Amino acid sequence: MNRSRSNKFRQALIVLALAVVTVALAFLVFDQVNAIAAEQDVAAETAATGNYGPAPKLTAADYPTIAGVNSRVAVWIFAQLHLWFAAFVLAVPIFVFIIEAIGMRTRDKRYDDMAYEFIKVSITAYSLTAVLGGLLLFSLIVFYPQLFTYMARIFKGSMFYYALLFFVESAALYIYYYGWHWLQGGFKKWVHLTIGLVLNAAGTTLMLLANAWLTFMMSPAGVDPAGVFNGDAWAAINNFLWNPINIHRFVANIAYGGSIVGAYAAFKFLTAGTQQERAHYDWMGYNANFIAICALLPLPFAGYYLAAEIYAYSQQMGITLMGGIFAWLFIIQAVLIGTLFLSANYYLWCGMGRSDGARRYTKYIKYLAIVLVGAFLVWFTPHTLVLTNEELKSLGGPYHKILGPLGIMPAKNTAVNVMIIFTALSFMFYRRANKTATVSWVNAGNAIQVALYTAGIANIMFLGIYHGYFTNTVYKVAASIPQVLTTLVVIAASITLDSFIYRRSTDVGPVHWGRIPARAQYALFLLAVAFTWLMGLMGYIRSGIRQHWHIVDIMRDTSPDAFTPTLGYAANVVSVAAILFMAMVIFVFWIAQVSTSKTLPAGYWKEG
Amino acid sequence: MAMKIPRLLQAALVLIGVYVGFIVVFDVLLQAIIPSSLLAMYMFFVTAGVFMVFTYDEEGTRELVAPIKALVEDPSKRLIRNIVFVIVPLAAGAATYFQMQPSFEAPVELRTIHPAPPTTAKIYGKQVNLLKLENPFRELEKEDPDQFRELVDEGAAVYIRNCQFCHGDKLDGNGPYAAGLNPTPLNFQDVGTIAQLQESYLFWRISTGGPGLPKEAAPWISSMPVWQDFLTEDEIWKVILYLYDYTGHEPRSWEHE
Amino acid sequence: MRQFLSVVAFTLITIGCFTAYSNYGIPQIEPAPPPKEEKLDLGSMTMDQFVALGERLFNGKGTCTLCHNSLGRAPLLDTLGDVTPGRLGDARYEGEAGNVEEYLIESLVEPSAFVVEGFGKKGTNDTESPMPDVSGGGISLSEAEILAVVAYLQERGGSEVTVEIPTDVGEGDEDEEEEEELEPREAVSDPKLLVSMFMCDACHMIDGEGGDIGPDLSGIGAARDRAYLRRAILDPNADITEGFEPDQMPEDMAEQMYVSELEILVDFLAENK
Repeated sequence: MNRSRSNKFRQALIVLALAVVTVALAFLVFDQVNAIAAEQDVAAETAATGNYGPAPKLTAADYPTIAGVNSRVAVWIFAQLHLWFAAFVLAVPIFVFIIEAIGMRTRDKRYDDMAYEFIKVSITAYSLTAVLGGLLLFSLIVFYPQLFTYMARIFKGSMFYYALLFFVESAALYIYYYGWHWLQGGFKKWVHLTIGLVLNAAGTTLMLLANAWLTFMMSPAGVDPAGVFNGDAWAAINNFLWNPINIHRFVANIAYGGSIVGAYAAFKFLTAGTQQERAHYDWMGYNANFIAICALLPLPFAGYYLAAEIYAYSQQMGITLMGGIFAWLFIIQAVLIGTLFLSANYYLWCGMGRSDGARRYTKYIKYLAIVLVGAFLVWFTPHTLVLTNEELKSLGGPYHKILGPLGIMPAKNTAVNVMIIFTALSFMFYRRANKTATVSWVNAGNAIQVALYTAGIANIMFLGIYHGYFTNTVYKVAASIPQVLTTLVVIAASITLDSFIYRRSTDVGPVHWGRIPARAQYALFLLAVAFTWLMGLMGYIRSGIRQHWHIVDIMRDTSPDAFTPTLGYAANVVSVAAILFMAMVIFVFWIAQVSTSKTLPAGYWKEG
Repeated sequence: MAMKIPRLLQAALVLIGVYVGFIVVFDVLLQAIIPSSLLAMYMFFVTAGVFMVFTYDEEGTRELVAPIKALVEDPSKRLIRNIVFVIVPLAAGAATYFQMQPSFEAPVELRTIHPAPPTTAKIYGKQVNLLKLENPFRELEKEDPDQFRELVDEGAAVYIRNCQFCHGDKLDGNGPYAAGLNPTPLNFQDVGTIAQLQESYLFWRISTGGPGLPKEAAPWISSMPVWQDFLTEDEIWKVILYLYDYTGHEPRSWEHE
Repeated sequence: MRQFLSVVAFTLITIGCFTAYSNYGIPQIEPAPPPKEEKLDLGSMTMDQFVALGERLFNGKGTCTLCHNSLGRAPLLDTLGDVTPGRLGDARYEGEAGNVEEYLIESLVEPSAFVVEGFGKKGTNDTESPMPDVSGGGISLSEAEILAVVAYLQERGGSEVTVEIPTDVGEGDEDEEEEEELEPREAVSDPKLLVSMFMCDACHMIDGEGGDIGPDLSGIGAARDRAYLRRAILDPNADITEGFEPDQMPEDMAEQMYVSELEILVDFLAENK
C-alpha cells in the first residue's frame, strides 16, 4: 500500500518535472523565435547599410601552412571521419526508437534488449563524433581562416543554435541510455520513449543545420554575386540544394547505421561462446541487415533526385558531375552499390538455412542470382570503354554498338530498378520460408504475385528500352520516374498481398536462430565496409564538384590545393580515412564489450 | 540415372560457359568484340555471383570444397597434391611473366571523347558563352518548316563537301578516309554521340576541332580540323541541323518542351 | 583473437580492392587545373594574339585606361605613330631610346623621361610624370607583358609593329610565376607603404597629396565606417560617390593585396578622421 503510494508520488513528481521542462522549453523557443525575428529586423537594417561585406578575394598567402601538413587532406579526413560517426550516431537512435516502440507494442522483451544494445554501441561513438567535430572545426579555423570567418559571419545564428542543440541532444542521449533500466514499465516507458523522440528531433535538426552550411557552399543563397549577405539567415539555410541533400543524407544515414550495427552483431556472433549468444547476435544481425536493406532500396531514388536538382541548379555543375571528369567515379560507385546489393542478398539467402521450410524456395535462388548479376553487369558497363588498339581497330571506333547503349542512363535506371525488385523478391522468399499459408486462395494469390512482378519488370524493361533507343535525351532522363513508380508500386503491392496470403499462416517449425554460416557474417562486414567507403567516395564528389570554389561563384579557392585531384588520389584519401574509421569503430565495439566484463583478482582486495 | 557432376566442376563449368558465352555472343554472333578490360570485370562479378549461389547453404558449401579439402588433407592424394602444388605457382609465375612482358602493342590510351565543355570559348574571334549558345536556325523548325528544310539541305551540301570524307555519307563514321584515322571518326548514328549533346557543344567541337580540345581530353590525337578557319558560322550551324535531321536524333536540351 | 584478426584482414583486403580498382581499374584522368587569369603561352602565339594580349592588359591588369581615356587625364595614345619620332629629338627628352619601340618601353617603366606638355604633376612644370612604373607596384607587368602592351600601342597608334614576340622569356616567365607562388611576398603592415604600393594616391587625395580621379580620402573616416570602406575596396562599383565616374577603380585591387593588408588599409582610412 505504502509502496504503491510512493510510486504514484514519484510518478506525479516526474510528470510535474516534465511539464516544467516542457513549458520552459516552449518559452525558450518562443523567446528565441522572437529573438530571431528581431535579429532579422536588425540584420535587414544593417544589410541596407552594408554591414556584411563582400566575400574576400584570397591569395595563396591567405592560407596558413603549418608544419608541412596538407591542409586539404587534413580537413578532408577530419570531415569524413566526423561525418561517418555522425551518420552512425544520428541513425542509431532513429531505429532504436522504432525498435523500442515495436517492443512496447508487441511486449517482446527481445526488442527492448536489442534496442538497448544498439544504443550502447553508439554511446562511445557519440563522444568520438564530438571530438572529431571539434577537430574538424579546429582544422578549418587553422587552415582556412578566411573561409571560416566568412561562413561564420553568415551563419553565426545557426552556429549558436547548433551548439545549444548539441547540449540538448547530449542530455537526451545520456538520460535515454543511462535511464534505460530505470525508466521501465507502464508510464515510465512512455517517458523514456518521449526522451527518445526528443533525442531524435535534436539529432535530426543538428544534421539539417550542418547540411545548410555545406549546401550553402554548393548553391549559395541570400547573398549577392559579390558575396554580400542580405541578412536573411533563412534564405541562406533554405538554399537550393538543402532539401535534396537532407533527404539523401537522412535515408543514407539509416542504411549506414544499420550496416554498422550489423557488423557489430556479426563480430559478436563470430566471437560468441554459447549457442544462446549466437542465436541472439544472429537475430540482431538479421534485424540490422533488414534496416539497412529497407533504407538501401529507396536510396538510389534519393540520389537521382539530388543529381537532378544539381543539374537544375547549375548545368555546369551537372556536366562536371555526370559527364566530365567525374564520370568514371560513377563506375566505381556502380561497383560499390553492386557489392552492397549482392552482399545483402547473399546474407538473406544464407539466412534461409535458419528455417526448415526454406527448401521450397532455395531452388529459385540461382535465378535471382542470375538476374541480379546480369542487371549489375549492365549497371556497371561504362559509357567510355577502355580499349586496346587492336580492339579499337576491330570495332571501327571507340563506340560499341551493343555495349554503347548500356552505358547511358536508361539502361542503368532499368538495371537498378530490376536489382531493387529482385532484392525485394529475395526478401519475400525469406519471409515466406518458414510459413505455410492457410487461406483457400493461395494459388490465386501466388498467381497474382507472379503476374504483378512480371508486369512490373516488363514495364520497367519496356520503358528502359523504349527511352534508351527511341527518344531524345531529355525524355531519357525523365523515363526514370515511371520506372521508379513501377518499382515502388510492385514492392508495396506484393508486401500487402503477401500479408493477406499469410494471414493466420502456420509456421513450418521453429526458426533456428544461430544456424547460419560464418560466411554470412562476412557478408555483413562487406556491407559495412563497402558502405563506409562508398560514403567517403560520394562525399568527395559532392564536395569536389565545386572544383576551385570554396563557395560556388562567390568565394574562390586560391590555395595550392585548389586543383581537383585524380580519382586514384581521392580513393587513396578515402581509403586511409576508412581504415582510421574502422580502427575507431573496433575500439568502440571493444569498449562496449569491456564495460560489461568483470574480473575479480584473487587476493587483491582486503578480505573481510 | 546420369552421374551427378561434382559441385566444384559444376561451378567451374558455369564460369567457363559464361566466359565462352560472352566471347561467342559478342565476337562471333554480334560481330562486335567484347573489350578485354570489360570482360575481366564482368567475369569477376560473375565469379562472385557463382560463389554466392554455390555457397549459401552449408551442405552445398561442404560439397563444393570437399575436393579441395581432400586434395590438401587426404594422404592418398599425395601424388596429385604434389603435382598441383608445383603447377599452381608455376602457372601464376607464367601468367605474371606474360602479363609484364613488354610487347609491341601500343599502350592503351583512353580518351575522354566528350570532355566537359568550358563555360566560354573563343570562336570566330568572339568570346561565346557555351551554356547559353543556341542554334539560331533551330526555332525555324516549327515556325517556318519550308525554310528550315532549305537550311537542312544547305547543311547537307556543306557536309558532303567537307565532312563525309571521314564521317561517311551515311554519317556512320565510316567515310573513305576513316580507315586511316586513329581514333576513328565519330559515328553520329550511335545513340551515345550527338544524341547526348547540346547543339552548342557540337558548335564548339566543330569550330575549334582537335586543337581546341581541353586538357582532360588528352592525348590530343584527334585529326578533326579547326573548321572555323574554313567554314562560316552559319555553315556550321546548318551542318548541325543536317546531322540531327539525317540521323533522326534530337539535340539534348535542358528543358522539357 | 583469430576471429578478430580475420575480420581485420577481411576489412583491409576489401578496402584494398576498392583502392586498387580506383587506381588501376579505371583510367586516371587529370582534371584541368583551376583557370588562371592571363596565362601566357608565348610559344604558340601569333602576332595577332600577342597584340590582343596587349589590348587585354591595356584595358585590364595594366589599368592604363584609368587615365589614358577621353577624360583628358593623360595623353590619348591614338597618334603615337606620328608623334613619337619627333619626341626622340625633343629638347626636353631625357631618355636613351633610339627608336619608337625603345621609346615606348621606356615610357612605360620610366614615365618621367618625357612628359607631354600639360600632363606633368602639378607644380613640377612637366618634368615629373604622375604615371607609375608599370613593372612595379600594384600593376607589376612582366617583361613579356610590357612588350605585348607596346605591340598593341604600336598597332593602335598606326605605326608598324616592330616588337618581336619574346621566345626565351616564355619558359623563364613561367618559372618566375611559379617561384612567386612558392615564395609569396611578405605582407606589408605600414599603411602609408600600402597606399604607395597599390598607388591609391594616383587617383585619390590622401592627406592632401594625390590625384583627383577618385574621391578625396583625407578625413574619410569621419564620413564612412569600416564596412563601407572594406566594401569600396573589394567591390569598387558597389557605391559610387556622387560626382565620380563608375568603372574607374580597378576591380581586382583586393585580389592583389593580402586580407591582412586590406584590414590595415581599412583601419588606416577609418581612423583618418
